[in-house]
Amino acid sequence: MKRTIAYLSLLFIVGALLYIANPNYGLKFGPGGEDWLKYRYTDNYYIEHGVEEVGGTNIVTDIVFDYRGYDTIGEATVLFTAIAGAIALLRPWRGDGK
Amino acid sequence: MNGEIILPYLIIVPLFGAFSMPIVSLAGRKAREAWAVLVSGITFIVGSAIFYAVYENGPILYTLGAKNPFGQGAGFPIRIVWEVDLLSALMVLMVTFVAFLAVLYSIGYMRHDTGLDKYYTLVIILELGMLGIAITGDLFNFYVFLEIMSIASYALVAFRNDTWEGIEAGIKYMFVGSVASSFVLLGIALLYGQYGTLTMGYLAIKLAQNPTVVAKVALAFFIAGLLFKSGASPVHMWLADAHPAAPSSISAMLSGLVIKIGGVYALARILFSIYGASVSMKTVGWIIIIFACITLIIGNAMAVIQEDMKRLLAYSSVGQIGYILLGLGIGLAGYGTKAGEIAIAGAVYHTFNHALMKALLFLIAGAVIHELGTRNLNELSGLAKTMPKTTFAFLIGAAAIIGMPPLNGFASKWLIYESSATFNQVLATIAIIGTAFCTAAYVRVLYTFFGRPSEKVMKAKDPEASMLWPVVILALAIIIMGLFPWQISDKIMIPVARTLENQLGYVATLMGGA
Repeated sequence: MKRTIAYLSLLFIVGALLYIANPNYGLKFGPGGEDWLKYRYTDNYYIEHGVEEVGGTNIVTDIVFDYRGYDTIGEATVLFTAIAGAIALLRPWRGDGK
Repeated sequence: MNGEIILPYLIIVPLFGAFSMPIVSLAGRKAREAWAVLVSGITFIVGSAIFYAVYENGPILYTLGAKNPFGQGAGFPIRIVWEVDLLSALMVLMVTFVAFLAVLYSIGYMRHDTGLDKYYTLVIILELGMLGIAITGDLFNFYVFLEIMSIASYALVAFRNDTWEGIEAGIKYMFVGSVASSFVLLGIALLYGQYGTLTMGYLAIKLAQNPTVVAKVALAFFIAGLLFKSGASPVHMWLADAHPAAPSSISAMLSGLVIKIGGVYALARILFSIYGASVSMKTVGWIIIIFACITLIIGNAMAVIQEDMKRLLAYSSVGQIGYILLGLGIGLAGYGTKAGEIAIAGAVYHTFNHALMKALLFLIAGAVIHELGTRNLNELSGLAKTMPKTTFAFLIGAAAIIGMPPLNGFASKWLIYESSATFNQVLATIAIIGTAFCTAAYVRVLYTFFGRPSEKVMKAKDPEASMLWPVVILALAIIIMGLFPWQISDKIMIPVARTLENQLGYVATLMGGA
């Protein structure tokens, strides 16, 4: 019973995602021409001003380390946390080491 | 005091504290504990200063890496912003306060555990993650900090790796939580694909100009993922396992803070500040209300039948999240009415109060377990005789959570009752039934505590100073807040509710930002 409901809701979610994947009323894939400036204005700004504002010729690193550098600190923290957590959980049990 | 100057230190201090912990802990146990207390203490001072600055001078906008979020000649934000309005500032104050007390409490409570350098690192990172969520004005940045908070809490739930329940609860929490996080990420991806921006305030403008079906699907993903994180029924089962299995200092932070920042606060922020003008608030409000009612009844009813003290508190947390969600739901469904405003004020007030009360109750449960080594309520009879201070503090916490008049829980629950009674009588009835169950659960615990002392209890005594002081401070905070319920409500909670409802103000802070 529970499993049936779970599969049905999964089906519903997939259906909803497929529905909005239709470019006529949902997400546009590979927007070009006029759509480029309408949907990807932020990306356009990065491409146009990235080199002069940041100084790197690689736009991705310009974004990841300058415009959105704070997110990168966050990602580094996620890794640090994951490592700290893994080491903490894999330590010997209390009283095992002696 | 200038809020913009001190705001970065809210992130810098815990970040530096966490990353330097492995080096500091080379100097030994004392240095590590002192460092953790120092870092969380400074964070608390910074948090209070920010709350004061925002309360006095209004919301702060802070752009990372530039003077303003806009580039050359662009009308849209290109950088990450922090946007701290009164609600964020209140959450910051709550997080830093409870986290500081939990760290202080850990000194005594975690004495017999190993791997404490990792423990303090993770606790400070947990605090960092929650602060990042509270102050951010960027949707993807919100996700990054949600993950920091979640991963730290998975590791901390399973921290006692030699107990079977710790590992079991940790695995359960991790699987459920990862699915919930991926829902949130999927929602963000859909919104970015459709609107091309990640800044919350600017996204609100774009959404209002062009509401699409993609935005509605994304909203469904957000609500689903964040209800998971806040432990609402029917997806509360991870909470009932995770909170009892974690060390008590962590349960206090999980129950008091994590489910509210990662769940309720994020939900409120996304629903009001991003989606405010562009979806039917009535529909969304009623969806939240339905979940709130289920959560209220199930959480409180399940609390009554528990034998395990911490599991009882965990189910009680689920029940109280129900009240908060009820307030939030009524605030949405009755948007713009007096009842709606009071409901949001009540929800925010109850969030703050519940953080204090549930932290207090979990810290006490930890002290009892530390002294007696059992969580079974049937073995704890007569605890009042040998642990009088602890039992008295529990009495205060329990009375506050039920909503006894001289304590802080009364005012916040009253606001929720009042608004639900004016909004819809049925909801008020459900809220009262939930409180009846909640009262039954806590009276049962108190009845046990004041009963005839069992043999096991006879050799117990009140905990040491570092565990007793956080309990005393929380109990005092509850009593003092209980003395000025309507002053706090009028001076802080109602303005908070107004800022949350005022979506235009949120957008204007971003767009008119210096």
